Amino acid sequence: MDFSTSTAAAQPPGAKVRRSAAGGRGTRLGPWPVVALCTLIAAFSLLPLGYVVAATANTGWDTIIALVFRPRVGELLFNTLALVLITVPLCLVLGIGGAWLAERTSLAGHKAWSVLLAAPLAIPAFVNSYAWVSAIPSLGGILGGVLISVLSYFPLVYIPVAAVLSRLDPALEQSAASLGLGPWKVFFRVVLPQLRLAAAGGALLVALHLLAEYGAFAMIAFDTFTTAIYDQFRSTFNGSAANMLAGVLVLFCLLLLLAESKTRGRARYARVGGGVQSNPQRLALGAFQLPAQLGLIALSALALGVPLWHVGRWIIAGGAAIWERQDLLDALLQTLGYGLAGAAATTVLAFPLAYLAVRHPGPAAKVLEAVNYISSSMPGIVVALALVTITVHNVPAIYQTSVVLVAAYALLFMPRALVNLRAGLAQAPRELDEAAQALGKPPFIAFLRVTLRLSAPAAAGGAALVFLGIVNELTATLLLAPNGTRTLATQFWALSSEIDYMGAAPYALLMIVLSAPMTYLLFVQSKKAAGQ
Amino acid sequence: MTSHPQDTAGSPATDVTAATPGRTFAASGVPTDHLVIENVRKGFGGADVLKGVNLAVAQGRTTAIVGPSGSGKTTLLRLIAGFSAPDSGRIALGGAEIAGESKWVPAHRRSVGYVAQDGALFPHLSVGANIAFGLQQRGRAAAARVAELLEMVSLDAAYAKRRPHELSGGQQQRVALARALARQPQLMLLDEPFSALDAGLRVATRRAVSETLERAGVTTILVTHDQAEALSFADQVAVMRDGELAQIGSPFVVYTRPSDRATAEFLGDAVIIEAWLEGSLALCSLGGIPVRRPPVQGKVHLMLRPEQIRIADGGPIRGRVVDTDYFGPETTVRIQLEPVKASAGRTLDPHQPVGGEIISIRHWNAMLARPGTELSLKVVGEGVVFPWD
Repeated sequence: MDFSTSTAAAQPPGAKVRRSAAGGRGTRLGPWPVVALCTLIAAFSLLPLGYVVAATANTGWDTIIALVFRPRVGELLFNTLALVLITVPLCLVLGIGGAWLAERTSLAGHKAWSVLLAAPLAIPAFVNSYAWVSAIPSLGGILGGVLISVLSYFPLVYIPVAAVLSRLDPALEQSAASLGLGPWKVFFRVVLPQLRLAAAGGALLVALHLLAEYGAFAMIAFDTFTTAIYDQFRSTFNGSAANMLAGVLVLFCLLLLLAESKTRGRARYARVGGGVQSNPQRLALGAFQLPAQLGLIALSALALGVPLWHVGRWIIAGGAAIWERQDLLDALLQTLGYGLAGAAATTVLAFPLAYLAVRHPGPAAKVLEAVNYISSSMPGIVVALALVTITVHNVPAIYQTSVVLVAAYALLFMPRALVNLRAGLAQAPRELDEAAQALGKPPFIAFLRVTLRLSAPAAAGGAALVFLGIVNELTATLLLAPNGTRTLATQFWALSSEIDYMGAAPYALLMIVLSAPMTYLLFVQSKKAAGQ
Repeated sequence: MTSHPQDTAGSPATDVTAATPGRTFAASGVPTDHLVIENVRKGFGGADVLKGVNLAVAQGRTTAIVGPSGSGKTTLLRLIAGFSAPDSGRIALGGAEIAGESKWVPAHRRSVGYVAQDGALFPHLSVGANIAFGLQQRGRAAAARVAELLEMVSLDAAYAKRRPHELSGGQQQRVALARALARQPQLMLLDEPFSALDAGLRVATRRAVSETLERAGVTTILVTHDQAEALSFADQVAVMRDGELAQIGSPFVVYTRPSDRATAEFLGDAVIIEAWLEGSLALCSLGGIPVRRPPVQGKVHLMLRPEQIRIADGGPIRGRVVDTDYFGPETTVRIQLEPVKASAGRTLDPHQPVGGEIISIRHWNAMLARPGTELSLKVVGEGVVFPWD
């Protein structure tokens, strides 16, 4: 008899079946007004890329070849490639090493170090450059470029890696230890692979910053694509030459994105299973304590000490006179105005995108995300070039108005707002909206009182980071600002270009002072986000 | 329609009913059916999730919709709550249509309370503000009502000042219930509200919620994948499978007389063996088992609940213990039945299956059932048969 008996065990009463929080149910694409709005915003964010593609397409092959294949481009290519290839690995070593020391070892004063290692982010790269030129006037070339880049940008690797390290489930390491691996092997075989996502993301950010940076390299007369495009545009207004250089630069950015997504592969941060995770154990440094401390002191002296010392030196040398200029207050107010307007505009534009991605993670959200990923890699110089040309030719009425500048800020800093808003909206699951509706609130009121209210802190955090970006933005501001605009960054730039280092110092100090709390905010937020 | 206690004048419940004058369902029969669901269908992206569901829930009673995950039970609950609209079919509450061909009342205008799996308390509001969220009153009146509701769910009034994250899971669920009760809904929907709680807390919370709802006299629908919870909580159990309600009945009926094999196995452990049915007697290796209202004759599957098979000295059935699983208060015993033999005074029916199947039963005495022990068994009560194919 093939069938004898059967005792069917019913589902154990303890089995937990949870629906996905994102909710695969409901409309697949999302409500059409939101989708339409998001499509418009995405189309807007594709303007710079579209401009470069169109400009290239409209230029004849002969012109393209003549403009791209020339020694000048070869020189820029070498400079830019060398800069990226040397700086990124150095940033990875410093960022991962610093994070590991601060988060996972018995480093004395690790709490203070963990903040100090993120602090250089509060010093804009061009202020760093200014300080180093004050210290070593002959600084320049690829070595100068690498020195300033590494010191300015290694926190971009350090912050995400430290965040992941501090939240990494120690059970993984304990399991590895119980499988017979020593502490070093555990680090290389278990911990390091877990950091791949964060490190690759940080490396991409560093590389994109290197491609986009203008001020820091122009200050030490080190030519990259961005500085060359700027000079070309300023000196001749020669459209096609600048456009072709921009085309090569954009190609670089897209290649970087591709490389990063390859590295990332299909990996995801994941902590399998529920329960509460315990605090990570710290590895005893023993005899390495002193070398570790000395190394971190040296790094902080170079990245923080040198810029602060020289800014301080110029301020003392300048005395009271440099503070009495009316320009300073003017620039401060204008910077605050642009910062607030830009942060508000960016947050408002990012909200529908974040909402769609979190609440209706369907094909439409996927496409928009891909669009955003690509457009967020566009350097400021390309965004500025695109907006200048488009406004001059198509909407001259708004050419060189603050509207265009705010639009450029929104394009440049949208990702900062998006990341925060998405995390915030994830804290406001649809179930809460529905609970409010079941309690008699119409959908719009429920949205206001629950979803909007719950995502407000995250939106404010995102807006603060956008504000930080705008305060330190130089390239797009120089090209797009209405005549007579003075921001802290542009005034600093104008004065230091005239070698008025004393006059520039108060602007540098104000930018650092404005940036410091926001950098701290970014640092704190990243630690929270890594746990989600 | 019969009047219900929570339908007091001026309450939001009355407003909604008055604002949505639908027609009563002539076909729905018994006038005390408070919620009527007729032929409701719903699909997502080409997949049919609900394939024509019919259900009637009586005034003030509790119905559990139980089914495995993915069977469509939560979808049905969301249609009743008004979070989404059915593709076709009708839903009426208190005689008024709330979803139908040309009519759809959104969630906030239905008099329906809803408690989600994890409570869905608003994290930015205190417990008191959560409970007062749906109230029309403000200030002192609201505070008094909040205190009253907290007492209703057996929580101290001091909890009103706390934050949701300061509460245990069970307390959160009770607050969620108080919040849903605040507007005196006609119908309460519970979406797996106990499944996120650990075992001990789950039973206690379930009992507290059940008592509160009974005192409030609210018609209640519970959605769960836990059959024990469904059987213990509800007056009526509706078993959902693949987007349809496979069986609706009292907990006793669906457990002891399941309508098909899948339902039988879903609702609890089942002993299912081959049998030959003649009249109302099923012949099998457990002997002749009486069957009530047999649907077919001939070769069938016979279903008994394990607790119907008892170890008894002098019982007519012989078996040998294969192995056991010890659970403390009881032991699961796997028994190899002896093949049926013709014996003196009893001729063997040529159709009677003779196989010595292995069955699992439960017994309280682990000492009695060591592997290899020969046991005598007897069967108590009736069996249920399902067609062979």
